[in-house]
Amino acid sequence: MPSWRDHLQRLRVAEHGPALVRAVVARNERVAARVCVLDLRLEEDVPAPSAGQFFLVDCGGGREHLLRRPLSVMGYDPAPQPALIFLVEVVGWGTRRLCAMQPGEKVGLLGPLGRGFGAPAGRFSLLIAGGMGIAPLLFLSHELKSREQACDLIAGFRDSGQVFGGRQDIGSPNGVCTEDGSMGGRGKVCDGLAGRLSEFGYTSVFACGPGGMLEETARVCAAAGVPCQVSLDSRMACGLGMCRGCVKQGAGGANLCVCKDGPVFDSTQVFD
Amino acid sequence: MNESSLMTNLAGIELANPVLLASGTAGYGLELDGLLDMSRLGGLILKSVTIEPWAGNAEPRIWETTGGMLNSIGLENIGVEALIEDVLPRISEIGVPLMASIAGDTVRAFARLASRLESTGALAAVEVNVSCPNVERGGIQFGVDPNATAAVTTSVRENCTMPVFVKLSAAASDLPGIADAASRAGASGLSLINTVPGMAIDPVSRSPRLGNVTGGLSGPAIKPIALKAVYDCFRATGLPIIGGGGIYDAGDVIEFLLAGATAVSIGTATFQDPARATKIVEELPDAVTAAGATTTAELVGRLRTPRNASKGKR
Repeated sequence: MPSWRDHLQRLRVAEHGPALVRAVVARNERVAARVCVLDLRLEEDVPAPSAGQFFLVDCGGGREHLLRRPLSVMGYDPAPQPALIFLVEVVGWGTRRLCAMQPGEKVGLLGPLGRGFGAPAGRFSLLIAGGMGIAPLLFLSHELKSREQACDLIAGFRDSGQVFGGRQDIGSPNGVCTEDGSMGGRGKVCDGLAGRLSEFGYTSVFACGPGGMLEETARVCAAAGVPCQVSLDSRMACGLGMCRGCVKQGAGGANLCVCKDGPVFDSTQVFD
Repeated sequence: MNESSLMTNLAGIELANPVLLASGTAGYGLELDGLLDMSRLGGLILKSVTIEPWAGNAEPRIWETTGGMLNSIGLENIGVEALIEDVLPRISEIGVPLMASIAGDTVRAFARLASRLESTGALAAVEVNVSCPNVERGGIQFGVDPNATAAVTTSVRENCTMPVFVKLSAAASDLPGIADAASRAGASGLSLINTVPGMAIDPVSRSPRLGNVTGGLSGPAIKPIALKAVYDCFRATGLPIIGGGGIYDAGDVIEFLLAGATAVSIGTATFQDPARATKIVEELPDAVTAAGATTTAELVGRLRTPRNASKGKR
């Protein structure tokens, strides 16, 4: 009988399960008052992440701050040495620690985790980002463009302290607005969405951002008959579907395990 | 020091080492596939199951606190039949002793679960969860009442021959009394402690951080509470104890052994590092040596109490 270890190894290869790896901070750049871009060079290989997947990042809190922070992948570069790019907004202890990291510091990662974005319906996608929700959508836009699939990315932020306009190597949004008008147009990113959908003939929508924004996007898309995928955010502990800490109630009262079944869901699974 | 120094006899169950994965934080074990070598563990306590699947509590369900976290999962689980059909055949392949954790809102539910689970032949023991702080009925309400604890323990004892570990809460006003009630009702051992009731509040929105308003605190913050619970209950009953609450490294394990635990359970630390439990197993022989012992077994309950220890001299 094969050993359990062999068995696990096979499972891991077969399912491209997540890995526990160490990474080194290659670059940490402050891109807005509260936001930084963290470039990590992986010391070991991980299964290639797809857009919408995330990693749990050990912020080095030891016993005092035990939980890893979930961060969506904003960019992945497999060669010459695999590297991951994350977007981090200072919210609490962990994200403050990550934004203060210096090049050369080591970070523990668990991932890639969760289910990323599915294939778009039709030929022209609209990507709608709210706040740090821009991170997985920049990755998606990069993926779609590399497959020569057309897409537009629009991004909304609370205020200029949060605005991230993208980066040359991963792309940038086609339009930016802020709720307080401190940068770009004034308003919310899904204002006028119904008109935009019909005017440009988008065949698919992908959204990531605050709950209210996702709900509004889902509602407009449902009315327009455009398929919509949403990426949810939740407090989480294990990232593996075992603790049930991130579970949210979806359409019809069903339990949605954000870390394992998501974070990306079809909007009809999430909103009634 | 070699691996045999970690051999543990827990109420008749032979464990390669005293380190178990605690119930709840390791799911059904399968989720940890590939992230830690489970064959290196002393054993695994599965997530609590009920007769029917339970949906659990409203979100948000977790909140990090200093040195720990609050949760109000509410015993979401797949139900005993799914556990038996889908989980046990696969998780049994690891080859380490498995314990089921059972929960229910009636005495009869506990009895049915114990008997149903024993019939699988896949389990080494059953842990009776009468201490969950996050359910309206059938959780901690049993575990803070000596009569209810005894009633549940008796019914489980009468419906299975496996060793029965009763998991208690340090929130009980007379924990050693409850432990004694469990002991008299036929418990083979105790599991100490469940999460400690607690809450967190957002000072801006004035709302609770957890959807269920209150939850259970776990992690290093509760270790002193857990140690005292083990110490008190070991002295009160002499029963074998699975001790846990905030264990993070091998030194913490030694502390629990000294307080009177025969085995330990690793819970919240698994979130910090899914492989933490096996790292603790690797570190343990050195920690045993540092404590001046050659085996973990010889440290159980061997706290050196100062001769002049007293309470409230006047």
